[in-house]
Amino acid sequence: MAAATASFQAPAAAADDLTFKHAFGTTALPRPARRVVSLGYTTQDPLLALGVRPVAVRHWFGAFPHSIWPWARPYLGDAAPDVLIGEVSMERVAATDPDLIVAIGAGLSQAEYTVLSRIAPVLVHDPADSAYGTPWDRMTLILGRATGRLAEARELVASVRAGFAAARRRHPGWAGRTGVAAYHWSGETGAFAGADTRARFLIELGFQPTDAVAALSGADDFYARLSPEDLSPLDADILLWVSSFDTSPDLAALPMRRTLTAHAEGREVFAGGLVSAALSFGSVLSLPFALEALEADIAAACDGDPATPVASAVKAGLAP
Amino acid sequence: MKRWAPLVGLLILAVLASLLLGYRPITPVDLWQALTAPDPTDAAHVTIRSIRFPRTVAGLACGGALGAAGLAIQALTRNPLADPGVLGINAGAAFAVVLGSLVLGQADAGLLAVLAFPGAALAAAAVFALGGGLRGNVSPVRLTLAGAALNALLLSLVTAAVLMRGETLDVVRFWIVGSLAEARARPLTEMALAAGAGALLILALAPKLEALSLGDALSRGLGTRPGRVQAGALVCISLLTGAAVAIAGPIAFLGLMVPPIARRLVGAPLRPGLIAAALLGASILLLADTAGRLLFAPAEIRAGVMTALLGGPIFVLIARRIRPGAVG
Repeated sequence: MAAATASFQAPAAAADDLTFKHAFGTTALPRPARRVVSLGYTTQDPLLALGVRPVAVRHWFGAFPHSIWPWARPYLGDAAPDVLIGEVSMERVAATDPDLIVAIGAGLSQAEYTVLSRIAPVLVHDPADSAYGTPWDRMTLILGRATGRLAEARELVASVRAGFAAARRRHPGWAGRTGVAAYHWSGETGAFAGADTRARFLIELGFQPTDAVAALSGADDFYARLSPEDLSPLDADILLWVSSFDTSPDLAALPMRRTLTAHAEGREVFAGGLVSAALSFGSVLSLPFALEALEADIAAACDGDPATPVASAVKAGLAP
Repeated sequence: MKRWAPLVGLLILAVLASLLLGYRPITPVDLWQALTAPDPTDAAHVTIRSIRFPRTVAGLACGGALGAAGLAIQALTRNPLADPGVLGINAGAAFAVVLGSLVLGQADAGLLAVLAFPGAALAAAAVFALGGGLRGNVSPVRLTLAGAALNALLLSLVTAAVLMRGETLDVVRFWIVGSLAEARARPLTEMALAAGAGALLILALAPKLEALSLGDALSRGLGTRPGRVQAGALVCISLLTGAAVAIAGPIAFLGLMVPPIARRLVGAPLRPGLIAAALLGASILLLADTAGRLLFAPAEIRAGVMTALLGGPIFVLIARRIRPGAVG
């Protein structure tokens, strides 16, 4: 990637380029941002990918230094951003002396937005998206524009899309097959739906949701809850279980799972701890990481031969 | 035995509803076949044997234990608004669950159950000690205050743990509501035995526990030793509530709303009251769980949410009818 200096831009274009319409109104930046506070739960990833090291990062989950996950760690270098945990502390945000506060997917209220706007210009989600539903590509492009690195942002987006396209080319058999990302958590089972990063990941690979999951969830839904007595909506060509833990005894013991054809024919894939976090982040950096981690397993599950072992499912005790 | 008929009838109704009603249609014929000639590939049979049957057993054990424990706690503290929450028992279980999932970095149904029981028991013992139990006599007021204090302390520790590690919040958020959905993964047999032992012991102790409410001097005159009776009652209450919390998490309001209804139906004596409270508790929990399965199907409402919806208004009713100084 070409190292970019955000120093030169035609003045007219800059004024045009640095105005952002969003759910709480319009924000205009005087110049491309340098000192960026990353308040969104996942916005540190696209910022780091663009070569912008945030002065503060919002902690979502996990126990990593500066709340930067392994897929983004190489981009952090020796920077040491402040970590903001829990409620947004206006004082701490102000103390970092930012020239931009990125709050896309931060769950800000209008009141918090107003207060933060007195500290520095604030970006929230596009009016077309839900509060936590900004797609990774749009997020990357918005942040590229705000930091004067739109060309790099376009490059990044193109390279991730190319990665997905290459995977689709390597596995032409995936196109048009059904794929469902599902969770089993604390006695409740459900499927991730169209607005969720975990469901979108499978769509990017050429899979489509089962009709039952599509029927159960609206366009803006992140998930559809199922009855433990009927998990048939999950019976897809690929059933990707997403768990926060590396082992899931509850899932392995789930009685109705054993009645699914996807289980009998060894078409289940298990994403635990790190990989499921990469899917949850669903960012320009974490998606390629998840793809690399899951591609072989999805291929093994989807090869039409029930006998092929799926490594992650075997390890989690899910294999038939 | 006319007054027992509605209680037993209600329980039979609740058990049948729990087995026959749900998202997947089940006929009595399916039920019969699943019990006599099970087919592991038949989804209806799997539903009955692996989902509804464990849920029904869990509802019977947990609801029965909470009903009886609620009445025992109210008799012990002489407070008609007391429930397992008041003695810090739920908070003790919650603290153990949070601490365990924090340390072990795991949160499956079996593990949470194993942690909840000792947490509940330790909290009950601590409340007894704080309330002055080691000196041989606990005043009901001191017991209630000690319970409230421990409750506040433990819940603030739970909050601190949750703030330290957001992941534990997910664990707590779901577990704290209480649900029968994970019955199959919980140690049902062991917990049912623990609850059964607690129930038999409290039935044996019931007359002595009643004597305590006559006041210290009079009860000593009748030959009871208050400290021992209270300690024994607290052991029973810990067994009952510990088992219930381990099976289903802290189900709200059940231990609070059942005793007054039981007293109304069978009168003041504690022994029949305990049996009635157990029958009622089991029935209400099973019906709450079944309703939660049907209301927003296919999604399920957790049984603890349903009992809270039921119990809230009943709590207000009881509170309004209380005459200060009366024992229930």
